[in-house]
Amino acid sequence: MVGFFNLLINGLIEGLIIALPALSLTLVMGINRFPNASAGDTMTFGAYAALGLQYAGVAFFSFAVMGSLIAGALLSWLCYRLVFQRLSRAPMVASLIAAIGIGFMIRSVIGLVAGHDLHTFSLPLVRAWNFDGIRVLPTDLAIAGVALALLILVFCWLKLSPSGRQLRAIADNPDLAKLSGIRPQRLMGMLWLLSGALCASGGVLLGMKAVVMPELGWEMLLPAFAAMILGGIGQPLGAVVGAVLMGIAQELSIPIVGPSYKIAVAFVVMLLVLMVRPGGLFGHVEKVR
Amino acid sequence: MSLLEVQHACVDFGAFRAVSDVSLSLAEGELLGIAGTNGAGKSTLFAAIAGQQATSTGRIEFGGADVTRKPVHQRARFGLARTFQTPREFANLSVLENLLAAAPNGRHESLLASWVGRRASRHQELELVRQADEILAFVKLMPVRDQSAGGLSGGQKKLLELARVLMLSPKLIMLDEPFAGVNPVLIGEIIEVLRKLHGRGIALIVVEHHLQALKSFVQRLIVMDQGRILADGNPHLVLDDPRVQAAYMGGVV
Amino acid sequence: MDAYLLAIGTIVLIYALLAIGLNLQYGETGLINFGHVAFFALGAYTSALLALKGWPLPLSFLAAGAIAAFSAVPLGFAALRLRDDYLAIVTLGFSETVRLVIQQEEWLTRGVQGLPGIPGLFTSLAGTPRAWAIFLTLLAVTALAAYAISLLQRSPFGRMLRAIRDNEPAVEALGKNPSGFKIRVFMLGAALAGIAGAFYAHFITFLTPEQFIPLVTFYVWMSIILGGIGSLRGALLGSTLLMFFLEGSRFIRDILPGVAEVQMANIRLAMIGLALVLFVLYRPQGLFGKRPV
Repeated sequence: MVGFFNLLINGLIEGLIIALPALSLTLVMGINRFPNASAGDTMTFGAYAALGLQYAGVAFFSFAVMGSLIAGALLSWLCYRLVFQRLSRAPMVASLIAAIGIGFMIRSVIGLVAGHDLHTFSLPLVRAWNFDGIRVLPTDLAIAGVALALLILVFCWLKLSPSGRQLRAIADNPDLAKLSGIRPQRLMGMLWLLSGALCASGGVLLGMKAVVMPELGWEMLLPAFAAMILGGIGQPLGAVVGAVLMGIAQELSIPIVGPSYKIAVAFVVMLLVLMVRPGGLFGHVEKVR
Repeated sequence: MSLLEVQHACVDFGAFRAVSDVSLSLAEGELLGIAGTNGAGKSTLFAAIAGQQATSTGRIEFGGADVTRKPVHQRARFGLARTFQTPREFANLSVLENLLAAAPNGRHESLLASWVGRRASRHQELELVRQADEILAFVKLMPVRDQSAGGLSGGQKKLLELARVLMLSPKLIMLDEPFAGVNPVLIGEIIEVLRKLHGRGIALIVVEHHLQALKSFVQRLIVMDQGRILADGNPHLVLDDPRVQAAYMGGVV
Repeated sequence: MDAYLLAIGTIVLIYALLAIGLNLQYGETGLINFGHVAFFALGAYTSALLALKGWPLPLSFLAAGAIAAFSAVPLGFAALRLRDDYLAIVTLGFSETVRLVIQQEEWLTRGVQGLPGIPGLFTSLAGTPRAWAIFLTLLAVTALAAYAISLLQRSPFGRMLRAIRDNEPAVEALGKNPSGFKIRVFMLGAALAGIAGAFYAHFITFLTPEQFIPLVTFYVWMSIILGGIGSLRGALLGSTLLMFFLEGSRFIRDILPGVAEVQMANIRLAMIGLALVLFVLYRPQGLFGKRPV
């Protein structure tokens, strides 16, 4: 029972981390209509950016994190302006393959610059709190807190700001996107800045929880996609709920299949959702016209 | 016995009821037009009959068989064919190949037949080509027979859709806005083809916005509004119906 | 020198087999398969493990193709109901799951430690004659596969594949179920990849999960993009070009001393990534064949 709770807590925290790229994926998928396979490597980029800033002597870790968010935002924005924007009229597979290529480029440059050694952030070592066997790491709490804060911030923006509301509307209803024709530049720019920041933050948090290595983000890509599909494409709340469920499912599967099969769990969940309820929890299935 | 029976069909999108308790009966060889303003539900009804869209309640029978839960391709096999509003030609195939691809499944189309028994397949192909050429002549698309379908004009693509569907020897052809985006000359040609098909005993359902074109050649007109059937009968009487006039709110009737 | 060129040629043909299969799936039928390396891996490990148990090679090769083909069935069924983008993600997940299983089930595959001592091809020969034997056998197999696929492309079955690619809803509306076609295409492409995997296993004689990462799938995608999607000859041409690139990058190491192997891997990764993006942006016909954009 204690073990169950520990897994549950860990799953919840992992789920919150997954929620960040999942949110980014669901928005891009809903608006730009393609799965952004470079999201994982953008996460890795975020982690390494924070790492780099720390090594460069930035005073507080939180500054490094903010710096990494900005870096991630800019990277994604650049990718949109240089590549994805030009592919907006091309078939979906073009953007998809371009995203794969961009992911490869990000990962390889990181590997060339930073090497393949495992790194960790220099954070104060804190002992886990123990409540009768239920272990909670203060770092994990901080991670969860930051993730939650970021998610709340983004949701406020999506709900309250006019651009945010427009984005949500388009993400939810693709026909609306087609009707509105040329999507305003600014809106797209904001979307991609947001997307990059979300992925970068996910990467940093993941790096805090585990280790920083070039494959960090790629390993999160499938769980994030599964979360997006589980929650329903274009549904921000769905992405978060889906991500938390994914995180918990992955952790709870450990006693059954061991700790290394997380990606397989994500895959199975993805398949099940697509077979049984393709629209996901909150979404609707699109009909062919 | 009627060819098509729709009984109390309803289609819901969440809380929104797009088609509300629609019943209609179509006899063999009948020529029916369905009109209505935007959002009247005619496209949804069309999709429900064609099998693209599931009904929430209600029953659809075709040729005596219950097709309510049957998928699109099975309804087509029964003889219920349809064309698309935005032409869905096989762009990289030639016009002729488009028709050949439509020919009902023969053993010549199996994977094994690619390698084994090729002579027999070629025989069957020749027969199909003959059929296709006949149809192409009928719709006057012979001049572009070997051209890539993607390069045809909008009107030609609509004729191609019709030609393709004829390869199925259908009992009913449903046309989804056949006159949309087509120049007036070709509208005339399409109407002529439709009249000839009617002459051959094929039932037709034409869903259209373009009332002028519609009322000139259909025998029976249904007008829908807000998911329901407003009026059903002789086109001129239907269009004179005050409820129909009100629904169109002074638009061109 | 001979042996070196023959080795290169052998790898080219292995990639050609992979490309022919993927081209059938995407170029002809429009199925976005991002998990092709899974069938490669399944074929390789199946043949290797069976051969290690004493199976004669021709049989283990057949088994490799069969296992790969059957593994495609569940994926094929998934493909029936999924849009392009979902299919891409699912196939990617499939290939990573397969790799994960290979990695974890050490009792069977020896996991990351690798599977050594796989029986080689034509062990009764040695040196250059042996290299020739391997190359020519593979050449014959690839030529046969290419011929079979070209017959398929020109047949009514092939026509239906292109129709499905061009407009699947229209195919359904014309009374045909795309499912049967798609599953067969998935299986056939997978079988070819499985046989390619078997050749690979008995050529390299050592297998590790690291050889079956998604990058390999995208090497194959690069091949069909280079050669022009939808074209069988393109698949063959593209594999050759790909090999030029991969082998050519090896020479960078000779020119720039001190570049470690792992750095080479990163350089290749970067170049493939860049190539994919550039092709998509500037030479889309490579990606869409004759399809109007």
